Amino acid sequence: MKYSLLLNNQRVEVEAPGDISLLKLLREYLHLTGTKEGCDVGECGACSVLLDGKLVNSCMVLAAQAADREVITIEGVCLPDGSPNDLQQAFIRYGAVQCGFCTPGMILAGEALLADNPQPTRTEIREAIAGNLCRCTGYQQIVDAIEQTSLSRKEKKGHA
Amino acid sequence: MPEYRFIGKPADRVDALEKVLGSAMYIADYFVPGMLLARTIRSTLPHARIKRIDLSAALKIPGVVAAITSEDFVNHGRFGYPVEDMFMLAYERARYVGDGIVSIAAETESALQQAVDAAVIELEELPAVFDMTHALDPSSALIGEQPADAEGYPRGNLLNQYAVRKGDPAHELSTCAVTLEAEYSTMHQEHAYLEPEGALAIPESDGSLTVYASCQSPFLNRANLVKVLGLPEGRVRVIQPVVGGAFGGKDDLMYQISAQVARLAQLTGRPVKMILPREESMIASYKRDAMQMHIQLGADASGRLRASRIHALVDSGAYSSITPFTAWRSSIHAMGPYRYDACHVDTDVVYTNNGYSGAFRGFGNAEVCFAIESAMDELALKLGIDPIDLRLQNCLLPCDITAHGQKLGDDVGLAECLDEVRRLSGWQHKHPLYTSEASKAPIPGELRRGIGVAALFHGISLGAEGADFAAGTLEVNPDYSLTLTSGLTDYGTGSRTTFTLIAAETLGLDPNRFVMPRPDTNSAQDSGPTVASRATVLGGNATRVTAEQLSQLLNQAAADLFACRPAEIIRHGELFIGPGEEPASFEKVVDHARKIGLALSSRGRWSAPEISWSMQKGQGKPYFAYHYGAQVAEVLVDTGTGKVDVTGFWAVHNTGKVIFPQGAYGQLFGGIAQGLGYALMERVDFDQGYLQATNFDEYLIPTSMDIPDIQGEFVEKPFSAGPYGAKNLGETGLVPAAPAIVNAIANATGRRIRSLPANLERVLLGRDLRKEGSSTACKLGLK
Repeated sequence: MKYSLLLNNQRVEVEAPGDISLLKLLREYLHLTGTKEGCDVGECGACSVLLDGKLVNSCMVLAAQAADREVITIEGVCLPDGSPNDLQQAFIRYGAVQCGFCTPGMILAGEALLADNPQPTRTEIREAIAGNLCRCTGYQQIVDAIEQTSLSRKEKKGHA
Repeated sequence: MPEYRFIGKPADRVDALEKVLGSAMYIADYFVPGMLLARTIRSTLPHARIKRIDLSAALKIPGVVAAITSEDFVNHGRFGYPVEDMFMLAYERARYVGDGIVSIAAETESALQQAVDAAVIELEELPAVFDMTHALDPSSALIGEQPADAEGYPRGNLLNQYAVRKGDPAHELSTCAVTLEAEYSTMHQEHAYLEPEGALAIPESDGSLTVYASCQSPFLNRANLVKVLGLPEGRVRVIQPVVGGAFGGKDDLMYQISAQVARLAQLTGRPVKMILPREESMIASYKRDAMQMHIQLGADASGRLRASRIHALVDSGAYSSITPFTAWRSSIHAMGPYRYDACHVDTDVVYTNNGYSGAFRGFGNAEVCFAIESAMDELALKLGIDPIDLRLQNCLLPCDITAHGQKLGDDVGLAECLDEVRRLSGWQHKHPLYTSEASKAPIPGELRRGIGVAALFHGISLGAEGADFAAGTLEVNPDYSLTLTSGLTDYGTGSRTTFTLIAAETLGLDPNRFVMPRPDTNSAQDSGPTVASRATVLGGNATRVTAEQLSQLLNQAAADLFACRPAEIIRHGELFIGPGEEPASFEKVVDHARKIGLALSSRGRWSAPEISWSMQKGQGKPYFAYHYGAQVAEVLVDTGTGKVDVTGFWAVHNTGKVIFPQGAYGQLFGGIAQGLGYALMERVDFDQGYLQATNFDEYLIPTSMDIPDIQGEFVEKPFSAGPYGAKNLGETGLVPAAPAIVNAIANATGRRIRSLPANLERVLLGRDLRKEGSSTACKLGLK
């Protein structure tokens, strides 16, 4: 079938089978491999994307369910010139990245949280990323990165 | 301590940018034109004779291109390190549920699935062994393939035996004022790297093969491929893409997957890729070994430790993998970092049909650390001595002699770690308070607080397990950047950043000038396996040596430019200063070197200091040095449900100089998180050889809600043999975490848990609830 969606702020159309997941559509038909497959049962969060601004496991969403909706993947988080945004920079600076496999999903979980709750507590940050497994970092530096981003965004807003 | 420009300073990971942008290429992200997909059909029986394989129907399915068995490899694809007892696909017998038997390549996933369903593999079930304590019974089925002496050999499933011998502990124990005797056990643990295994083989037009593999040790992979494919070394190239975590778990199974896609690529002349679904990954991959440990400790009434006597049993499962080395490490570390008048350790390693065991962060030490640190706490209670005091009273100090007869150096910093972790955690106040709270009978449902400590030592690198060296290369490129390679790889650990910082520091050049390409057997130098916390000391030293050589070449060029002696060159930042001349930039020196025909490249190699171990005497110098550390956990236990929350965690480790602090903390926190999972929730349950949890919905690993903010500190006592005084730390965060947590639970509840994990039923009831096992999850997972 023909899929049409608003992907990373661009209208895209693609031909693909009707019975596949959004994850597969993204990786195999749209060649956006930043979204990862870790478990395929909706437990690990490596495939997290934003669907109409809400964090979802794309392995658990049928591609057809995303039709005509807005999808943001890790490829759509960076600045227009391709450089990392502030949250991505904070992930680098605060050591939130080790093997990197959970990183795209973690960053989207962080963006979803900050959109919803710009000044989260550390506990709220931990709650927001509880559906995203990381086996390398022990989460602490990920929490640091999201917390620092929320503080710097607040400061920027204050100056604006 | 000297002031460094880059070492120990804030730095970004060299590979972080591509990872946050989502552009880093992991093995599953490679899509090559004409690529076939592959799958391996695996045994659904724990032990079976392969009676008949008929692939004719499978091969007739449209889109199916090729299928292979062990017959398609040289010598049936036999491989293994250090014991060659595995095959690239099972030969004659399948020895565990998940043992690969047939690999198939097809155009599409649906053709592949149809072929898997159509393939005929007739298995005849053989008697199996699931209880490691009965593996050595004469009546038990023979699982391993023993050499010729297997016949009539009463202990046919014995893979190895190790001993440590000092004095006569039986005699000492009989005269000790206080003794303790207890039995501890640990379960298998799944690595649970977020990225499952995968490989892609590409046949080149000249008959050679390029294999991209999500493995730890590309050189071992190539050595195996060369052997089983019958190709010369120069015809097989292994490249490691970005690896999504390994923790010790991406060796043997990855070599099998690599060989399977490589052979299929050879036969079809097309690229072949295989990515394991999570269920297949969990069922087929090796685990941390399960162990049972019987410990006797004895001390005099003042708390001075006098004797330890330990018997350990290790379940290697169906194959040896690297368990002979992990079990040796268990044996060496079983008595903990303490002084004894007498100490005996005896370790038996056995074959069973419980999957198979191999390398996992901690490498045999996490298991024995749980046992000895639990025993130390039990002994402290008997003696009425504070657990930290007891450890301080007996812990190894600089220049002590260990139970192995090894004289230690001046780098030992365990006492400092214990003192500091006591201060950081507020132990002095909390421990007596929680102890007195625990002495009152609980009101059902009451929340109880507890605090626990554990110490560790951890031998650096391979030790007497194997040849210990690493090599590196450096080259100045035409654009004045430098390419640095190391044979030791980075699967998320940060070692590429560590090596870059060491090279930059040694050469006095900005770290941004350096490029470390993906590990590639065609360009890097073989450095043995990337296991056992080897990278910082071995790879770091090799990098330092390589950079020193290049630095000499640069000084030579600068001296020629200034018409002076190389010794007269002074370095300031990136500038080269000669006597009474304008300084020359790095670029100018490089240009001059080119003009005079001086090649600016170097190759360095570093070998670890001499070590020795006598298997017969159980004495020697097993490792050239040790890492030390101490951790304290604080818990809140719900006495109504058995639920344990870890509410505080403090860790102080004697790391030597920390080269890349952000990475060091990451290793520490991440290790502790895995240790917390090992302590409380991770349970690889083999029931009659069938894994009970095959995905993250059943095999639970810690989430962000399970781990508190951890406070970590490093005791940076310089280690003279380490690069810039550094020791390794990749594994050590994990090792004492579980006993610290279980000791905290005992402090909270007054109940001692001697088997991991300390799950709800063990905390609440003090025993296991027997659950009926099932083969369903495995059979579904392999379908």
